[in-house]
Amino acid sequence: MAGKKNTTPEQQQYQQLQQKHEKKRPVLKNCIKAFFIGGLICTIGQAISYFYIYFFNFTEQSVGNPTVATMVFLSMLLTGFGVYDRLGQFAGAGSAVPVTGFGNAVISAAIEHRTEGFVLGVGGNMFKLAGSVLLFGVFAAFVVALIKTLLGIWGGI
Amino acid sequence: MYWIRIIMALFVLVCLTSCAEKQQMKDSQLALIKATDPKPVVTDGKKGSEQAEDIKHDVSSFPEIYDVAVVKGKNGALVVYKVKHMQRFNMKKIESKVTKKLEGKYPKEKFTVSSDYKIFLEVVRLNEKMRAGTISNQNADKRFKEIVKMTEDMK
Repeated sequence: MAGKKNTTPEQQQYQQLQQKHEKKRPVLKNCIKAFFIGGLICTIGQAISYFYIYFFNFTEQSVGNPTVATMVFLSMLLTGFGVYDRLGQFAGAGSAVPVTGFGNAVISAAIEHRTEGFVLGVGGNMFKLAGSVLLFGVFAAFVVALIKTLLGIWGGI
Repeated sequence: MYWIRIIMALFVLVCLTSCAEKQQMKDSQLALIKATDPKPVVTDGKKGSEQAEDIKHDVSSFPEIYDVAVVKGKNGALVVYKVKHMQRFNMKKIESKVTKKLEGKYPKEKFTVSSDYKIFLEVVRLNEKMRAGTISNQNADKRFKEIVKMTEDMK
């Protein structure tokens, strides 16, 4: 957009022609796919959390930890078998936004760099994609905890 | 085509499995997913069963709550309830409202109030055992104390 003023009339004409023939992104269709697949993943997560509540000694508050661990582990396995990649192609954000996307990001980076060796390849690049999630997750949790603690000290909560 | 066949096979399997499950289900098996409305139980014989009924009635009168279980033990009462989905943002507020009402109406009683599904499930299980007569009053009171301790661990 910034270089629109500097373009020649021929270039502008070409851009218009290009826009005319450009295939439109099916945004609504993608959103619907993401909604349903994301919802399906969350439903599976809910079923797993009920399983832990029913058969083990987890309460509603503590059941989140084993559920997240199970979901991430399952997505890691599916990524290794090449199933989650296909799901990702189909559902887009629907498979990337839930916590299973984290497992996929870790394992896909590990598989990609496997040929470079276990230490510098797998170990060094495993968290290339997921590292930012961990960093900002921990940082955000720290900020929220700090605010809560300060409010607690000053008698807000 | 291959995937469609697998999905159809799974669908048929699920249908057949659900047909085989026609036997009567216990309330505790469905307590996490549907309203069971269990009758209040008293671990200390029949003493205090009317009060337990009253407590259940009082808690059920809250519009935000839809399923209430009450267990009355020797040293207090445990009140567990489920909150309507859109009201789950106000869980703490509802808990304090319920506690305040109960403590105001029954000042001599010590109340433990919870909205946790696990606690609800354990209360329904205890209720079933007591009704079936598979647990003695002494063991029921012991289990009641364990459940109360579970709620305290969450705080």
